[in-house]
Amino acid sequence: MSLIPTAVYSAADLEQPHEFHPGDGDHTTDGQTTQISEVVIKAGGEDRDKPSEARDTPLGHLRAQLTTLQDQINVFLTERMKSEKSAITGKEEDDIERRILDDGVDEDEED
Amino acid sequence: MTVDLDKYVKPGRDYYIALGLEGSANKLGVGIIRQPVGQLSQTNRAEVLSNVRDTYVTPPGEGFLPRDTARHHRNWVVRIIKRALSEAKVTGADLDCICFTQGPGMGAPLQSVVVAARTLAQLWELPLVGVNHCVGHIEMGREITGADNPVVLYVSGGNTQVIAYSKQRYRIFGETLDIAIGNCLDRFARTLKIPNEPAPGYNIEQMAKKGKHLVNLPYTVKGMDLSMSGILAHVDGLAKDMFGKQGKKLVDEETGELITAEDLCFSLQEILYSMLVEITERALAHVNSNQVLIVGGVGSNERLQEMMKLMIQDRKNGQIYATDERFCIDNGIMIAHAGLLSYRTGQTNDLWNTVCTQRFRTDEVFVKWRDD
Repeated sequence: MSLIPTAVYSAADLEQPHEFHPGDGDHTTDGQTTQISEVVIKAGGEDRDKPSEARDTPLGHLRAQLTTLQDQINVFLTERMKSEKSAITGKEEDDIERRILDDGVDEDEED
Repeated sequence: MTVDLDKYVKPGRDYYIALGLEGSANKLGVGIIRQPVGQLSQTNRAEVLSNVRDTYVTPPGEGFLPRDTARHHRNWVVRIIKRALSEAKVTGADLDCICFTQGPGMGAPLQSVVVAARTLAQLWELPLVGVNHCVGHIEMGREITGADNPVVLYVSGGNTQVIAYSKQRYRIFGETLDIAIGNCLDRFARTLKIPNEPAPGYNIEQMAKKGKHLVNLPYTVKGMDLSMSGILAHVDGLAKDMFGKQGKKLVDEETGELITAEDLCFSLQEILYSMLVEITERALAHVNSNQVLIVGGVGSNERLQEMMKLMIQDRKNGQIYATDERFCIDNGIMIAHAGLLSYRTGQTNDLWNTVCTQRFRTDEVFVKWRDD
C-alpha cells in the first residue's frame, strides 16, 4: 500500500485552487523550512532536536513525503503573506495620503 | 454529599488510567497515571506509572523562542510517548482518556502538543480532556503532599499566583501585575550569561548561596498583587554597570567589600521571595487557613521553601507542603492526574473544542470533582 499525501489550498482571490504534490525524488524528514532558528546556532547552540529519520516502511515514506509537502506549503504561504503585507502597506500609505488630503476628516470606509 | 467519581468506570475494572501531555513552555512531558475507584485519599492514592520529560535548552544568554520550542516538542513527542508507555507497561487499549494542556502557555508549543493528543485520541478512539495547566499543578501538589485544602502559591516561569479554593473554583487572591517570578529570574540569568542547563533558576539559586551582601532593590507589593518588572530592570541595570564596559565597582555599605554577581543573585532572590511570603501570609489570614502548598518550577527553590517555612511556623498548626522537581517543574503526570479527575466527572472535550489558548485563567475552571 502506498500512501501519497496531497494538499489543496483555495482562497477567494485565487482563480484556481493551488495543489501540492510531494513528487518524485528524495524525501527526508529533515525539512528545509523546519530547521532550528539561526539565532540559536549563532549563540553557540547545537541542534539536538532533529527529527528521527524516516524508516523504510509505508508510514516512514509518508512521514518523509509529508515533510516535503510541508516545505512546499510553507514556502507558498510565506510568499503569499509577503505579497499580502506589501499590498496592505501600500494601502495604508494611500490612506494617510487620503486623510491628509481630506484635511483630517477620518471616515470609515467599507471595502 | 460527595461527588460521584465512578459513573464512567469501564465495566469490569476498578481503576482508571490516563495519559497526559504537557508542552506549554520549554518542557515536553508525558505522564501516565492510575487512579483507583472511589474518592482519592491518603489510603486510596493515585499511582504514577510513568513521568517522562524532555527540556528544550538554549545556549547561555538566550531565552527559548516559540518556534524552536514547538519544533523541539514536535520532534520529540512520539519518542517521549513511546518511552512513557513502555515504562508504564501499558498500551493505548488500557487507557481511559488522553489529557492535554489546553492553556495557559506559549501558543506554538501548545499547538504542537495538542496535535499529538488529537492524533492519539483518534488512533485509539479515546476521549480528549483539556486541562488548565495551573489546575494540573494544584491537583498534583495536593495528591503528592496530602494537603487537603491549602492556600496554593503557584510560582513558575510564566505564572505567579496565590490561590485558594472556594465553591468549586480555584480563586486567585493575588498575582503578578506584569512578569512572572520565574521569568524575572530567568531573564536576570540571561543578563549574567548563566547557563540554562539544568535550569537558569537553579543556577541562580546556587550562586545566591554564595552571596552574602544584600543589595538594595525595590520592594513592590501592591495589596495582594506584585510587580516584578521594575525590580528586574533595576538589578539588570546594576549588573550591566558592573559587568559592562563601564566596569563600575559597587561596594557594600557596611563592610566596604565589593558586590559580586553572587550578591546580586542573593539579593534578587531575597527580595522577590519576601514579597511572595508577604502576600501568601495575607491570603492565609483572609481564608483562615494554616496550610501552604507551593507548586510550579520556582517552587523547587529551597530558599523559597525555607523562607515560607519560617513564616508558617509562626502560625498556629502551620504546615508547608512542597514537591520535588519531578512534580514542581512542568510535567505530563499532573496533566494526566487533573485531566482524569475531570474525566471521572464527565468533563471531556469534543474534537472541535480542543483548541489551545494562551490565556486561560485558573478560576475559569469548574472544579466539578470537589464539593467541599
